[in-house]
Amino acid sequence: MRGPIGRIIGWLAVTIVLTAPAAAHTGGVAGGFAGGIAHPFFGPDHVVAMFAVGLWGAFLGAPAIFLLPIVFPLVMAAGGALGILGIPLPAVETGIAVSAAVLGLMVALAANPPLWVAALLVGIFAVFHGHAHGAELPPGADAVAYSIGFVIATGLLHLLGIAFGLLARWPAGRIAVRAAGGTIALAGLIFLSRMA
Amino acid sequence: MTARPAALAVLWVAAGAGLASALAPIRGLASFQGGLLHPVLVPAHVLTLAALGLLISQQPHRERTALLVVFAAALCAGIGAIMTAAVFTAGTLVLLAVGAIAGLLVARARPVPLLLVAPLAAAAGVALAFDSVPHEISIAATLHALAGTAIGAALTVTFVACTMADLQRAWLHIAVRIVGSWSAASAILVLALRLAR
Repeated sequence: MRGPIGRIIGWLAVTIVLTAPAAAHTGGVAGGFAGGIAHPFFGPDHVVAMFAVGLWGAFLGAPAIFLLPIVFPLVMAAGGALGILGIPLPAVETGIAVSAAVLGLMVALAANPPLWVAALLVGIFAVFHGHAHGAELPPGADAVAYSIGFVIATGLLHLLGIAFGLLARWPAGRIAVRAAGGTIALAGLIFLSRMA
Repeated sequence: MTARPAALAVLWVAAGAGLASALAPIRGLASFQGGLLHPVLVPAHVLTLAALGLLISQQPHRERTALLVVFAAALCAGIGAIMTAAVFTAGTLVLLAVGAIAGLLVARARPVPLLLVAPLAAAAGVALAFDSVPHEISIAATLHALAGTAIGAALTVTFVACTMADLQRAWLHIAVRIVGSWSAASAILVLALRLAR
């Protein structure tokens, strides 16, 4: 395979081969990265909301499809910094549950607001998610490796949502995507009802 | 052989040879080899070098070369300062700050004035040198290790900058912006953690 893609794949292959011995190590950097990768998956409310961001981005099309995954981690990190520094944010868990409900509803209703509205909505929810994650950063693991793993896992959830959202190109796929949005919205309502 | 394959070949040899690092028949080779791999084994260094390399790749060709020279010169300046017994303990913080700023600029994907990028490259070079000083070994071994670090760091940034500068497909440019965003996000989180402690 030639060209930049082939070079990138080759470089990744080299990296994977050389880092294979690291799999025997579970502490320090390796443990921090593994912990960071796994962390977003421990909260179903986080998972569905991250998936919904990618789903809605794909549904909206360019430039939202790539702007939302670029903006979300940055705003999430800002919210995370607030959490780490101990700056309180009211109703964080409620905000996270609401994010799943609202974002799922946007997809289910095929909402197509102006880009700035979509970015603002996603950004507000990103602060809540980031704040919750920031307060949970473990003191023992390598912080940089943990943060990299955690940000990558969040981004991969977005990409999963985008991949599924690309089905909207076809009529049947569009129905499937909107149904997925409805399911996510329902999940968000269930999370909210458990808090009541 | 062009710069990129040569850089890749050197990194490959160094990394592969590292597996046999228990045997060091040439005096100083273990220190140099360890230094060569150090920038790609420390997460904070990898994050910053990747973000800086991507930022340099987005600059015009002439400025790319100048920035790589600035980075290399800063590494040498940092090593020179260390050899005069200078001490700077905030190397990691500076590296993370550079990584955050560079990542944000990469995500923005607009041309950045040379007068803004050059100080970032210089700060990264000096901070990397100070953050790579080995502990409790001789002055000669320290110099060997730092020389290896400087070469490894310069090769890494050069490789990233040269490889990512030739991207033709639109989705690859988007992927670069996403990586910049992720780098900045990670650096911001860790900076907040360090400031909180």
